[in-house]
Amino acid sequence: MRPILALCATLGLASAIGCVNQSDAAESREPDIVRRAMQQAQQPASAAGQPTLIQHPEHIQPGISLRGGFTQLANPFQGDPAKIKEGGALFVSYNCMDCHGAEGSGAMGPSLADGRFHFGGTAGEVYQSIYEGRPDGMPAWGGRIPDDQIWRLVAYVQSLGANKDVATENFTGKTIQKMGH
Amino acid sequence: MRVYHALVLGLVLAGCKKVGPSSDSTAARVQGGAPIVADARIGTPNPPGGEGEWVMPARDYASSRYSTLAQITSANVKNLKAAWTFSTGVLRGHEGQPLVVNKTMYLVTPYPNVAYAIDLTQPGYPLKWKFRPENAQAAAGTACCDVVNRGAAYADGKIVYNLLDGHTVAVDAESGKQLWRVQMADLNRGETITMAPIVVKNRVIVGSSGGEMGVRGWIAALDLATGRELWRAYNTGSDADVKIGARFKPFYATERGKDLGLTSWPGDSWKVGGGAVWGWLSYDPTLNLVYHGTSNPGPWNQDVRPGDNKWTCAILARDADTGELVWAFQVTPHDLWDYDAVNENILVDMPVKGQPRKALVHFDRNGFAYTLDRQTGEVLLAQPYVPMNWAKYINLQTGRPEIDSSKATKQGKLVKNICPSLEGGKNQQPAAFSPQTGLFYVPTNNLCMDFESRPVSYIAGTPYIGANAPETGGPGDYKGEFMAWDAANGRKVWGIREPFPVWGGALVTAGNVVFYGTLDGWFKAANARTGEVLWQFKVGSGVVGNPITYTAPDGKQYIAVYSGIGGDMGLLIAGDVAANLPFDVRERGTTLPDLAKYTSWGGMLFVFAL
Repeated sequence: MRPILALCATLGLASAIGCVNQSDAAESREPDIVRRAMQQAQQPASAAGQPTLIQHPEHIQPGISLRGGFTQLANPFQGDPAKIKEGGALFVSYNCMDCHGAEGSGAMGPSLADGRFHFGGTAGEVYQSIYEGRPDGMPAWGGRIPDDQIWRLVAYVQSLGANKDVATENFTGKTIQKMGH
Repeated sequence: MRVYHALVLGLVLAGCKKVGPSSDSTAARVQGGAPIVADARIGTPNPPGGEGEWVMPARDYASSRYSTLAQITSANVKNLKAAWTFSTGVLRGHEGQPLVVNKTMYLVTPYPNVAYAIDLTQPGYPLKWKFRPENAQAAAGTACCDVVNRGAAYADGKIVYNLLDGHTVAVDAESGKQLWRVQMADLNRGETITMAPIVVKNRVIVGSSGGEMGVRGWIAALDLATGRELWRAYNTGSDADVKIGARFKPFYATERGKDLGLTSWPGDSWKVGGGAVWGWLSYDPTLNLVYHGTSNPGPWNQDVRPGDNKWTCAILARDADTGELVWAFQVTPHDLWDYDAVNENILVDMPVKGQPRKALVHFDRNGFAYTLDRQTGEVLLAQPYVPMNWAKYINLQTGRPEIDSSKATKQGKLVKNICPSLEGGKNQQPAAFSPQTGLFYVPTNNLCMDFESRPVSYIAGTPYIGANAPETGGPGDYKGEFMAWDAANGRKVWGIREPFPVWGGALVTAGNVVFYGTLDGWFKAANARTGEVLWQFKVGSGVVGNPITYTAPDGKQYIAVYSGIGGDMGLLIAGDVAANLPFDVRERGTTLPDLAKYTSWGGMLFVFAL
């Protein structure tokens, strides 16, 4: 995972919510909600009368977490318009936009607006992508920015992709129909 | 949401259009065999290696991309045919070019930067070796503009090149064995390396990428034998760090003063101020100077960095042995438009305004073609070579542009219709120079942009940009033009208009043929005197690489070029990019809405022969 230093530039025109205070970031702990999820995930399944799950990490497909706890997470702000709007502001302030494009349309980083997620598009999976980062260069923000901000970002990201993808691009005729791809 | 874009039918049907010689006198001269610009010569000695070899990125230290091979001529090029092909196994932007040395062809792919050695003596062109370097995956998401690599250099039995994750490697040219590997750039600070090194007197010269990531740009020299770092010069900061000392003699007064790399920035902003070295390098062995450009200042939002922001957007001349700065010329002081000055510097000796000059010709992103004196950094000529409206002219007394204030960008202001766009009149696609014609062959863009700056915070390892700059086609129904330029007089001689920006480089030969490829996948040959297109071949994917030519062991002349769309302009297709929204940082979808109709991902070497 690529470490990322959250630093305030002395010159920076940090927007209202933008810049992370470095000392806060350093002191941040794993958010409670994640810790609880981890503990849950680490309970031996057999304790609850279920067969023991044997994991083969080398066979895990991309996007499926070893730590299943993430996928079980629910977004406390799911669909909340005010929080989605705040998430959109954070998306700009944390420079997410400069990789993923305005409104997640894609640039250096993959599109978030086409409903096609490399590592899963559920709230928990998007949370995990932000929290842990992803190996192609997505920084790990867990412990760097507050948990509730990550959930606002998740709410925002999930608001982008719905129903925008079209499987077919038809290049005949006088106009070209463009869509997220 | 579905967005519809009108397709300009005429543009596509017309394909490319030739624009004739710019004056009657030119038209008369192109009929004959005399040079169109007289007495213009490549400014450096013949390159190492034989006439039929290609041992460094631009073939010679002058960056001419000129070959004396002449089996293929403007008379017979119509018979050119695909001879063989090779898949690189990578589907991203194939900028750069192969090398040919000792009957072997060497290729370097985009990330993961695999190197191949192809045996040109055997039927079927088998591999001698394949080298897969260790190369951190995070690099792919740290590079701003696709995961490109602009090629390798050969010297003393070694193939030397840079890895996207910031390493420089040397590989034994015969065995493919890694000889050394040195970490030069720091991914965690947003640094990557995409440029092609050159080797000068057993020194490997390399530079950093990351102008969009708040890096502090540098150039360095490594010992070819061991990889040991011999010197490193930063392009912002104190005179000591920039390697400014007693030998520094810039031509213009505004380039003189103590610690300008500090004092032309507010506070510590020079530490994240860009000035990367991701473009091409040239070298004059007589003067012992390495010439390189520097990238845009960071961030694009100029409100946070009042001052000239030295030495960003500049052309620098450094002593090859020590890295000392000998002269500097800031092409675009206090850049407001992302006009990096990293484009190639072509070293040509020619008369300018009646006086013989050791010249340096540079087609800048800012839309002006500069002819400089490469001994002093004096600007001899600066004329726009593409549609340009941000400046009225370049003041030759000061070297500085007279800016049209209505095109000056500012936070909170949407400035409309700035030409050229941030992709520049030309970008990484290198030009070529022919001593036969005296002309420069220049692949160009015809794009304009709107620009809106916004607040931005520096967060290490993330982009440091602070602006939206949607692009559109420039005036006229073409978005690129491949042109011949007279750098002694600052004028276009002919041009071939293309529906898309010409993002591949040029090759010109003694056979009076000039070659280039297009984003929509045409590889073309034109008459170097007249610009008449003589031959074209539709390759598998758009061309963003640079053609080369060589003589194979069978004695025949071949032309080779990568096909594989990508890079900044091709990211629309090469990346997983939606690009259908109006205010993306780089919304290729609206800039080139119909490109996807003509090409798709690829990664192939195409080789042609008569």
